[in-house]
Amino acid sequence: MPLGSLIHDLWVAGFALQVLLAGVLLAKRAWRKYPLFTAYIFFNLFETAAALSVYRMHAYFYTFWICEAIGIFLGLAVVREIFTNIFAPHPALRKLAILVFRVAVVALVLLACGAIYEQSVSAKTIARVVMVATDGTRIVELGLIMFLFLSSSAFGLHWRQNEFGIALGLGTCAAVELINVTLMTHLSPAAGQIFSVVRSFSFNFSLLIWLGYLLFPERATSSGELPKKAQLEQWNQAVTELINR
Amino acid sequence: MITVIVIALALCAVVLFYMAVRNRRKQAVQSLRPVDLAAFHTLLDRDDELFIKEKLPRSKFVRLKRHRIRVTVRYVARIASNASTVLHESENARLSPTPEVASTAEQVMELAAQIRVQCMLAIFKLSLEYAMPSLQLTPAMLVPTYQTLRENVRRLGDLQTQNAIPLANAI
Repeated sequence: MPLGSLIHDLWVAGFALQVLLAGVLLAKRAWRKYPLFTAYIFFNLFETAAALSVYRMHAYFYTFWICEAIGIFLGLAVVREIFTNIFAPHPALRKLAILVFRVAVVALVLLACGAIYEQSVSAKTIARVVMVATDGTRIVELGLIMFLFLSSSAFGLHWRQNEFGIALGLGTCAAVELINVTLMTHLSPAAGQIFSVVRSFSFNFSLLIWLGYLLFPERATSSGELPKKAQLEQWNQAVTELINR
Repeated sequence: MITVIVIALALCAVVLFYMAVRNRRKQAVQSLRPVDLAAFHTLLDRDDELFIKEKLPRSKFVRLKRHRIRVTVRYVARIASNASTVLHESENARLSPTPEVASTAEQVMELAAQIRVQCMLAIFKLSLEYAMPSLQLTPAMLVPTYQTLRENVRRLGDLQTQNAIPLANAI
């Protein structure tokens, strides 16, 4: 199968998955709890439709990169939304988490600036400049998603099924996208088609992750392994005696 | 150089996501594990450590201290894991229509969150002590806080009459 038609087929499959995801979000009234994520998905749907309609035209370049820029900022807003949702019930942790979050943002922006500076030397066309800028923003996006996973793990927070799925899908997509964009600026434009295939695969994979986590109900925490009351009381008594001796 | 860092960051992210999915599956069957606080207290006892330091040659002391630190870390990890389970289990109680249950659940959650932060600090300090055994940075605050958490969880269990197995007994 020629690469061009594979890219096209992946696009069409992605479009179908996005329509399905949009339907699931509407059916579950997800905009009430995740307004930014819903906006992000609907914007992606619009982006795919717009890109498909102007494919192989001169306007495609501008449509693609303008939508890409808006999509990245919406992605960052989704990260903020998940962060707020995770830490909302924990006021004791929120202050510390916000402080660490700000430090992480500064560190990531510095890394992104470094990456942009290093690659700006070879950026001689508009396409390269846009790619370098995308690279920088993707670093911040992926870094913040990693921060979310690391901080929630460190604080021992429980992720709700939907939030975990949203972050996982967004993170997977951002990681592949970052590798893609970073390598693309170093390789020839001919490699672009291969990267487009990888990009489409990863985006469709993220769509499947979102669909999976939204459609399947959360597994309840098993309480079957909790010890019997009498046994617990014995342990507790023994420990208390030892503490108070 | 920065390109290498960026690619490494992306690959680390993929590994992190894989681990997060795996840990989430484990968490679904996670249960509370009791903590022997007295044994934990003994491990944190500085007098005991000083006694061993005086009696043993330096190389043996270092080996023994590192062993004690490894055991202490396991205790801290267990306390952290229990605090995390308490955080999760108390979330539903926080939304209870009974104001007293909701308020106690909030107190429990706040305390559990504090313990999580203290555990992070404790593990950081213990790591430093492991690297430099002559250091003395024992996280002494952890025991009383954990004790308070246990009392608050018991109060929450008493308020929730439908609770067949009080959570406090398990921790």
